[in-house]
This record gives sequence, C-alpha cells and structure tokens, in this order.
Amino acid sequence: MAHEFNTELVAQEEWGWLLALDLFFGGMGGGLFLLSLSFNLPASVAVVSVLFVALGAVVLMIELGHPLRAWRALCKPFSSWISRGVFCVTLFVVFGILYSAPGFDALSWLAPDSDSVRRTIGVIAAVSALLVMLYPGFVLAASPSIPFWNSSFLPLIFAFHSLMVASGFLFLIASWGLDSAKLAGISFLGVILIVANLVMGAMYLGNAKGSGLAGKEAVRRLNAGSLGRTFQLGVVLLGMIAPLLIIVWVPSVVALAGLFILIGGLLFRYCVLKAGVYVPFPLT
Amino acid sequence: MAVNGKAVASHNGKVPRWGMAIDLKRCVGCQSCTLACKAENGTPREIFWMRVLEQEEGTYPQARKVFLPIRCNHCAEPPCVPVCPTGASYKRSRDNLVLINQDKCIGCRACIVACPYQVRFIPEDTKGYYGEELTPYEAKRYQKWQPRTVQKCTFCEHRLETGDQPACVQTCPTRALVFGDLNDPESEITKLVRARHHFQPRAELGTDPSLYYLT
Repeated sequence: MAHEFNTELVAQEEWGWLLALDLFFGGMGGGLFLLSLSFNLPASVAVVSVLFVALGAVVLMIELGHPLRAWRALCKPFSSWISRGVFCVTLFVVFGILYSAPGFDALSWLAPDSDSVRRTIGVIAAVSALLVMLYPGFVLAASPSIPFWNSSFLPLIFAFHSLMVASGFLFLIASWGLDSAKLAGISFLGVILIVANLVMGAMYLGNAKGSGLAGKEAVRRLNAGSLGRTFQLGVVLLGMIAPLLIIVWVPSVVALAGLFILIGGLLFRYCVLKAGVYVPFPLT
Repeated sequence: MAVNGKAVASHNGKVPRWGMAIDLKRCVGCQSCTLACKAENGTPREIFWMRVLEQEEGTYPQARKVFLPIRCNHCAEPPCVPVCPTGASYKRSRDNLVLINQDKCIGCRACIVACPYQVRFIPEDTKGYYGEELTPYEAKRYQKWQPRTVQKCTFCEHRLETGDQPACVQTCPTRALVFGDLNDPESEITKLVRARHHFQPRAELGTDPSLYYLT
C-alpha cells in the first residue's frame, strides 16, 4: 500500500476540459461585449456575448458535483472569487440582455425608456463583463498550493486572452456583414492583443520558472510531453503566431485566423489548468 | 469538549486549538494510522484521509527510507475556507477544527485545489471496493458520505466529543502521533513543540498548520 503514497510532484486533476470550456465561453462573452461597445457593433453581437457567458455558466453547472445546489455559490461574495464570479455572470446576463433589448422586437418590452438609464445599464453590463473576464484568473491565483497560478499577473493574462478570443470570434463572423472599416480596427486591435499575449505569456513563464520546484515543473510540463505539444503547437503556433501572420499578410482569410484564435484560446485555458503543479510535500 | 476524559476549558481566554505533533524519529511507516482512520471513519473506496508518504534517501549502503504521515492540517489560516463559494468549508469557532458541511457543498472542487497538502477528497460515485454491490460494512459506513461532495480528516471530532483521542493517535504503536490543545501551555503537545526541533509543513504559505513535525 505504501508504494502508492509517493512524494512526486503532481499536477491538480480536479479541473480539466469542462472548466476550460467554461472559462473559454465566459471570457469570450465578456470580451465580445466590450468589443461590441468599443466598436459600436450591432446589437446582435451583444446578445451573442450574453449567450456565450450564459453557455459558460451552464457548462460550469454541469461540472459541479451537485448542480441543483448551484445557487449556494452566491453565498460568499466577500471571501470567494468563485462566488464573486457567479455574481458578475448573473449581473452581466441580466444587464447585458437589458442593454441589448432595444435592438430586438421580441425584447423591446425590456428596453429602458430613457437614454440615461440605458447608458447606466450599459456601464453596469460593461463592468460586469470586465469582471467576467478577470475573475477566473483571481480564482486560480487564490490557490497558494499551486505556485504557477498564484500570481496577481494571471487575471490580466486571462483578460487579454479573453479580448483576443473575442476578436477571433469577430474575425470568424466578419463575412456575415461586419463593416470593413470596423473590421480593420478590430484587426489592428487583434494584432496588438496577440503580440501582447505573446509577450505577457513569455514573461509569465519566465517568472514561473524561477518560482521554485512546482513552478519550474509547471513550465517543464508546458514544454514537454503531450501537454507541451498542445501548448506549443495549439496555443502558441496555431492560436497566436499563425493568426498574426494571416491578419498581417493574408487578411482575405481572416476568418481562418479567427478559427485558429478560438481553438488556441480554448487550448490555452486547458493548458493553464493542467500545468497546475502542487507545491511539493515537505519531504522533497 | 474533552480529551482523555478531561474537560478542556479555554486557556488564556482562548478556545482549544486542536493540533498534532508527529515525531518523524518515531514513525516507522507501518501505515497503522492509515488503516485505523479508514476503519474508524469508513471512508469511501480509495480515499485515505490519513496516509504515510515514503521516500528513499541516500545510496547503498547508506540508503534509508524516511516517512511522512500527512493529513488535514486544520490550519489556523486555512486556504480551503475562503475559496469555498458556499460556506460548506468552515473553521468551527469553538475548537478551530476545519470541517465540511456536506449539505452545503456543491462539488466545485475549489477547496481541493487550494489545499497545499492534497488532503481533501471527493468520492465520484457510491461504488465500494467490489463494485456496485456494497459489502454490509460498506453499506452501513458509506451512508454518511454524499457522493460528489468533498470530505477530509476531522481529527475524529466524534471521538473528541466523548473524550477519546483520534483513532490514528490511539493506534500508533510507536507513539509517533501526539494530539492535544495547542492553546494549552501545559498540554503534552505544546511542551513537545517547545522542547523539540520541529517544522510546520509549508508554513511559508501562511497557512499556520496545526500539525508540527518533530525532527
């Protein structure tokens, strides 16, 4: 029996694909809403952003051991980032729908009468969208057990990745009537976001490598084996470098770049989760 | 609250803080604590609230095995508690035990991930060691565990209520485990910690564990 109780460095196995999907949809939805405000995109984009966030919440509920008790996750907003996140998601879904309502006949009865009220609703929805992008980073950073995550830098990386994925989604649907001037602006932002994510990612890995045994092991796992291949080929090459080259040199197939960014965005979240190596036992 | 039949009052105005000193010089890695815990608490299949890690050190002919009994540290600053979104994980104010209310647990696993000691567990199903059909022992003992909710060592709180020591402590044949109130300056554990070289596991993380390894 004792031989099963070894002291090797191990990565967490609690969170995997389902949580990665939740973070992917939530982040993309939050980012999409902010981009739709920034570039004054059609109301349908804002509605889609709400749907993405809601879809992420559904995936999260599926992952719970007791989905019917999910309402309890609202109980500890003063201490738990998961609880705060659930609040933000709820706020965003409610205010995101209210903000988008005037653009749809079916929802017009929800539309506020005055512009000032709509602006206020828009601000609340935008702030909660920003928090929806940020909170997963805070959830992970709250674990002192996993040095690779335990960094105040992580929420920022999640937010930037969410915006990048949201821009990728817009590239993907650009051919369905996105104004070319707006597409040019989003493409420019997309390039900046990809470069920023590459730089921040490299800095983050460099920092993690120097943060002790567990951090070093996490970086090693992202550079070796199957997780390493997923990270290097899926996240970096397919998810960032290839789209960057396409946007800059072959903008006519920007939808392909969008697809690659989406795939890379999902894999990024999966890799970050699976590289969560625990601090070693005090024997090592 | 009592231990060994002795009522434990608050000391210096403080409520008890139950803790354990583990003498690494005495531990022989026999895993009797592991089995005593399993038998006492009837934990689900493949879940061991307490276990003894082992590692080989040195090279032949100077090779030796070292052992490290691990379990919930009932930290004074438990990282598993603030991450819980429902309040299912909590620190009981009357004796500082870190416990779980299964009825409130939603199975989000945040506490499992937040624990630096890897001593929180979640049974995925209700199967026993021999499959779907439970043995009479399993059928009785597993009743108290809700599948897909988190569980962990309770320092045998049910035994503390009746004045007994945790099962692992009572079983240890080498007296490597010493249990008591860390807030009582006259308790055996406090005296041991004062007298012996010791370390708290991963204390640098700010968890202030109630486990002391005596070296």
